[in-house]
Amino acid sequence: MTRTPYTDSPVVTTTVRLLAPFVLTYGLFTMFHGTSSVGGGFQGGVVAAATVITLAFALGIRQTADWLDGRALAALVVAGPLVFGAVALAGVAAGGAFLQFDVLPVPKATVYATEAVEIGIGATVGAVIVALFVRLADGYEEPSAPGSTATATATDGGREPVAALATHDAPGEVPRDE
Amino acid sequence: MTVVVEGALAVALLAFVLAVAVLTALVRDVLTAVVVFAAYSLGLAILWELYRAPDVGLTEAAVGAGVTTALFLLAISRTVRPADSGWLVDPRSVRPRSVFVAGAVTVGLLVTVPALPPVGASETAAFGPVSAFYLSDAADRGVDNAVTAVLVVYRGFDTFGEVAVVFAAAVAALAVLGREAVA
Repeated sequence: MTRTPYTDSPVVTTTVRLLAPFVLTYGLFTMFHGTSSVGGGFQGGVVAAATVITLAFALGIRQTADWLDGRALAALVVAGPLVFGAVALAGVAAGGAFLQFDVLPVPKATVYATEAVEIGIGATVGAVIVALFVRLADGYEEPSAPGSTATATATDGGREPVAALATHDAPGEVPRDE
Repeated sequence: MTVVVEGALAVALLAFVLAVAVLTALVRDVLTAVVVFAAYSLGLAILWELYRAPDVGLTEAAVGAGVTTALFLLAISRTVRPADSGWLVDPRSVRPRSVFVAGAVTVGLLVTVPALPPVGASETAAFGPVSAFYLSDAADRGVDNAVTAVLVVYRGFDTFGEVAVVFAAAVAALAVLGREAVA
């Protein structure tokens, strides 16, 4: 493991480690259970993506971004339109109209078609938010751990920086270790 | 009794939302403004729950208070914060034109308020025959959450379009940022 460990308040990291599984579970529940309870794909996807963002703030944005699989994320981004289109065309294939669900040859067709669409929406929305967050964080470097030299303190005349920043070479391919 | 409590809660929340909205514009420190703006979204989310729109409330809390705040924090991370002077903006730095435009828009919106029907009025379009059909037909199909049923089963074209918009927005944003890989 070659990356610099990002150290922050142990209160924050511990709290986030403790809460993240529950928040993610709630997001997935919202996504998968949209036909019978509050929420749906959009809300569930946002909550699931918020889990990743919270982890990034607590454990280091760059480290979290390295941990993400870019190809899987890209697949999730296109999942929504693809699944929605497939379900819509399945209605045509089953002899109905575009987006007609009750002709599908499965039990409780409307429920399962709606669930499939919601999960697709959740995948797209969540992945898009994570991707935007990671890409906006390019060039952002966390306040470094003690001993690291990457910190660029931009103090000019009584102004303190919001966060220590350093320019970042655009990483076309994220190096994966571990 | 419940009505009184709900009314008091709604008034308190509306006052809170109004206060933090004004505060967002007035505080000098951008980081403080971002946090106060998140509080604004949180107040709105609780208001939606109070008005029995839990789907909207959940969206407001997750997007408005959560993700937007995170993106704003990233956006301001390249800025510096002033260490001197007070915590409110200097009134001399505010352009009168901006205040006039903001005030005119506010007054313009407020004069439309009396035209709105009262909360829960039964003669509004929301309580027309189509709503009764949606509620009973969605239950017959096994979709208990009527909001989801309207979004996907009855208004599928619109929702399909929304997903396409989210997808296109992501592609456009990544293109503007000059990135081909998403992560």
